[in-house]
Amino acid sequence: MAKRASVLKVTGLRKAFGPVVIIDGFDLEIRAGEAVALTGRNGAGKSTVLRCVVGAERPDEGTVTVNGVTVSETNPQIRRDVATVIDDLDFFPDLSVVEHLDLLARAHGIPDAEAAVDEVLHEVQLVAQSGQLPATLSSGQRRRLALATAFVRPRSLLILDEPEQRLDTEGVQWLAQRLQAERARGLAILMASHEPSLVKAVATREVRLAGAALAPEPAEAE
Amino acid sequence: MSKKSRKLIRAAAVEPVAPAAQVALDPEPAAEPVEPEREFYFVPAFEPVEVDEKELHDQIKQWRHGRATRTLGQVLSDGYIALFAVVLLGAMLGNVLVQAQSGAAACTTTECGVARLMMPTAMVLAGYALTLSAGRLFGPVLASAAEGFWLMDAPLRRRRLLRARLVLPVVLAGVLTAALTALVAALSGMDAVGLGLWTAAAGAGSAALMALAGAEQAIERTTGVRSVLWLFGIGTLAVLLLVVSIAAGWVPASIAASAETVRWAVVGLLAAAVAGLVLWLSLALRRLERIRRARLLSGGSLVAGMQGAMFALDFGLIRDILVEREAAARGHVRPVRGRGLGVWALVWRDLQRLGRFPKPWIGLAVSLVVPYAADALRMSQLNPLVSGLALFIALVPFLGSLRVLTRSGGMARSLPFKTSTLRSAAMLVPAGLALLWAVLVTPAFIGIAQTGADRSVVGGLTTALVTGLAGVLGGVRWVTAKQPDFGVPMMATPGGAMPPTLMFNLLRGIDVVAVVTAPLIMGAPATWSLGIALVVFVLLRGTFNMDELKAEQEALKREQQTQAREKIRVTRSTR
Repeated sequence: MAKRASVLKVTGLRKAFGPVVIIDGFDLEIRAGEAVALTGRNGAGKSTVLRCVVGAERPDEGTVTVNGVTVSETNPQIRRDVATVIDDLDFFPDLSVVEHLDLLARAHGIPDAEAAVDEVLHEVQLVAQSGQLPATLSSGQRRRLALATAFVRPRSLLILDEPEQRLDTEGVQWLAQRLQAERARGLAILMASHEPSLVKAVATREVRLAGAALAPEPAEAE
Repeated sequence: MSKKSRKLIRAAAVEPVAPAAQVALDPEPAAEPVEPEREFYFVPAFEPVEVDEKELHDQIKQWRHGRATRTLGQVLSDGYIALFAVVLLGAMLGNVLVQAQSGAAACTTTECGVARLMMPTAMVLAGYALTLSAGRLFGPVLASAAEGFWLMDAPLRRRRLLRARLVLPVVLAGVLTAALTALVAALSGMDAVGLGLWTAAAGAGSAALMALAGAEQAIERTTGVRSVLWLFGIGTLAVLLLVVSIAAGWVPASIAASAETVRWAVVGLLAAAVAGLVLWLSLALRRLERIRRARLLSGGSLVAGMQGAMFALDFGLIRDILVEREAAARGHVRPVRGRGLGVWALVWRDLQRLGRFPKPWIGLAVSLVVPYAADALRMSQLNPLVSGLALFIALVPFLGSLRVLTRSGGMARSLPFKTSTLRSAAMLVPAGLALLWAVLVTPAFIGIAQTGADRSVVGGLTTALVTGLAGVLGGVRWVTAKQPDFGVPMMATPGGAMPPTLMFNLLRGIDVVAVVTAPLIMGAPATWSLGIALVVFVLLRGTFNMDELKAEQEALKREQQTQAREKIRVTRSTR
């Protein structure tokens, strides 16, 4: 069988905050149809890796490429290829749930945006909330809307930071099935998760991060 | 970090230093945890004693004072810079007042005189509207989350606990409105008796309206306060229009009442305000017992959020909090189908917003009056600056989509466009509004009053366009400015360490308006202003985004370093 194309390639990633090294020498390659789960304790560096991968955080060393293009948060090509659900997704306070999805679908040039939005809205079970403004959504509904923004647009890499957060049991099951289907369609997935059932159902590989360490002290002058 | 701290952190680390490890998917099943036996405490049955709310309040006050680290004297001696600033500003204000009085002497025509004397009326009405607006926004009676949790849950008499919380905003509203009205009356060249009467009527009226807002808060009724608020808002606009019309000679000065009649009307207003204050304050005090905790805490949380933003002088964040609150209050909208594909979808949504939240139109309508008022009141030289600032403030609510796209990277990352394309698209509708504004105010820049500006049609239109550009660019600068970065090296100031960007936060937006309109004010050709505006636009739309360029450079450098390392590895392995 032919080897699938490499979608994400991370080489020698290093990120430190002051003297605390969060991640060092991190390498990762994800091919189309693969799903990699980052696991580890709180503060192990899962979100930092994801933020470096999407370009929201600048790594100290190392490179990140998506489909051969070096990642920069502002590169339109990267914005087109990578769908992200990490903690900094902001909503327009005056646009309703359905209007957010409609805007994203149209911005990505989907010709029948209305149909796409309807499908996703049904799937994330936000039909009843379609006219609500984001400020009035519960935290679980906000999470569903954030996930919907990733599913309503074209993508080749999906990056999710603890996507199971605030979802009910049924919601986590739905998410696992959805991500399995994404993987089956040849999409690459990189996610951080604390939910073993989700990791087991979706991930083809698990990368456990050990956590932060202090940088070695510089040798003192005699 | 000290050596000791490093050792402590090392000792606390459970895992060895191994940044990443790939493991098998099936972990071994964990052993069943054994629940330890626990003992629980229950409060024994007792006869509750009566609590004196005043005593409780005094105790809290005492705790707070006990935790103060500095005395008032120390604060004042440390704040000598602030004292100097107050003295300096006071001297400047005094100078302005003296100049205004002499300006009033030069305002010889009846039209000009009547128009100037109508300014205190506009100020009083605006003060009343602002009082009601602030009262509705914050409560006016409010409590912090901690007070809500610890005190409001206990069986206490809320009236005794909250009395001071009601009186404080009432007094504040009265004093602030009175001070502002006194200032405007003095600037208008009013005599001492008139000034005293206007000030008293403004202060008493504002205090009465704040008490009314307090009385309505307890029974959670908003219709009355909202109606009165609209009435005063419209009244302010009408008076401002009348001022302009009289000064421009469009309406005869005789339409305004004589000074004597106005004086008696103000006496009547003062009497009504005092009566209203007594009535509504007693009603509000009586109703304090019924006030719901949620209603108290909502104002408290708003104040806490705004306080946090104020420490960083982040006015954008303050606005965000207010916008979020308004959206939460509205809750639901009738979804409208989008139009267009690509970046035009974003522009269409901006257009659709214009009808969805109509409140910003009021600000834009008021800003239309400003150039006419400035010209009518002999301020034609400063008109581009004053009107540009008014338009900048009025346009900020229309730049909501640009704000969301720039305040955090999340939404911008979801849209497949370059930063400059996104920003340009989000500026398009506000720029259209600024253009429309410029056309509508062109007569003010040509000159409406006998003593005002005297420009040709082309000159007036160009000046109006430059002012419109300054306004929209000022708004863009305001909504796109970054929050102060407390991670950068701090600047030593007498007030303590401060990030350099914090100081400039106060001026953001204003700086752009001032720079763009400066050539016009100094009598230079309008093309200079247009050139400056073009440069500012190029910078604001992110064409040369320094952060992006830096990030690209760094990424390239990292890539080269990685490639070099790969080469070394290959060389070593072949040895």
